[in-house]
Amino acid sequence: MDAQRKATILHGVIGKMTAGGADIQTAEWVEFVEAQNDGYRTGPAIGAKVPEFTLPDQTGRSRPLHDLMGPNGLLLVFSRSADW
Amino acid sequence: MGKLQAQGINAAAITYDSREVLANFGEAYKIGYPLLSDAGSKVIREFGIFNTNIPPDHKMMYGIPWPGDYLIAPDGAVRDKWFLPSYEHRPSASEAALRHFDGDRGNSVRIEAGVVNATVTLSTDRCFPGQELGLLLEVRLEPGWHVYGQPLPAQYQAIELRLESPLIGEQSLELPAAHPLLLKALGETLPVYAGGFKAHGKVGIKWSPPMPAKFLEPLGNRIEPGLYQITGTLRFQACGDDICETPQSVKFELPLTVDAGIPPAPKKTA
Repeated sequence: MDAQRKATILHGVIGKMTAGGADIQTAEWVEFVEAQNDGYRTGPAIGAKVPEFTLPDQTGRSRPLHDLMGPNGLLLVFSRSADW
Repeated sequence: MGKLQAQGINAAAITYDSREVLANFGEAYKIGYPLLSDAGSKVIREFGIFNTNIPPDHKMMYGIPWPGDYLIAPDGAVRDKWFLPSYEHRPSASEAALRHFDGDRGNSVRIEAGVVNATVTLSTDRCFPGQELGLLLEVRLEPGWHVYGQPLPAQYQAIELRLESPLIGEQSLELPAAHPLLLKALGETLPVYAGGFKAHGKVGIKWSPPMPAKFLEPLGNRIEPGLYQITGTLRFQACGDDICETPQSVKFELPLTVDAGIPPAPKKTA
C-alpha cells in the first residue's frame, strides 16, 4: 500500500468514526487495519541493548531506565495510546 | 503482571500521551506500575518502532508506535520481545512469565495415561479477546518407554497437542528435536522422545469486534465476556523395548475467563 493510499484511508476512516461510523464499509476497515500494520518493525534485536532513556511517569516523576528495572529485569510495554 | 513481579520483574508502559492523560488513565484503572509519557515520541523513535505509516498531518494518530512488549535483562539487553502482525492482537505478560520463569502454574491440567505423564499449562486463566497466551507441554515417561516425534511414517502417531475452542485462532507448539532410535521389534529407526521434555507454544485468542457495528460483523463473531472451557487433545503412541501400545488420544479441559476490553478512561471535565 503506498503512502498516499495509507494517508487517505487513515484520515477517511477516523473522520467517519468521529461522525458516528455509520457509513464505514468492511473493506475500508480491513484496509484501515492493514495501513497501520504495513511493514511493522520490532526495534532492538534479542541480545542487543535497548536505548537509554528517561521519561516522566503519570505522577510527574522522572524515571530513567535503571530506576524502572527490577532485580531480574523489566517488561516494557509500548502501547498506542491510553486515550482512545 | 503479578506473576512477573513475583520473579523480580518490574513492568512499565510507554505511550505518546501527555502526563495528564496517563494520570487520568492510571487513576481510573488503578494502575500500579509506571505509565511513561513519551510526548513527541522521542523514545519510540529511538527504539525504531515509530509507526511510519501514519501521515504527519494525522493529528490523532501521528506519533504512535507499532505496539509490542520487550523483556529487558538488568544489563539492558533484550531477552525476548513480542510484536504481533496486527495491532488488534496483543501479547500478554503471562506469556513472558511462563516462557522465561518458573512462576505460578495457575492454569494447568495433569494427564496421566499409563506410562505417559503430561502437564498442559496455559499462561493465564484470564485474558482479553485478541491476546496471545503462552502454552507449555511437559511430558515425563516411565523408564524404558518413549513416544514418537516427527518426521514419522503415517502408520504411527507422533506426540501432538491441539486445543479446540471457538475462542482460539492460531496456535503453535515448538517441540524439541526427537532422537532417532532403532526399534528392534519393528526393525525401523524412528524419531522418539525418552525420559521427558518441555515444549513451549503460543495460543492466539480470537479478536472480537470492539464495538457493535455492521461493518465489523463479517470480520469475526463477538466474544462475550465470561468463563469458557478450552478443550484439548493430547495424542501420542507409547512404545517400550518389546511392545508398542496403540495410539492414544486423551481429552482435557482448561478454564479460561474472557474479560471485556477496557474502554478509554472517562475524560475529566475541568
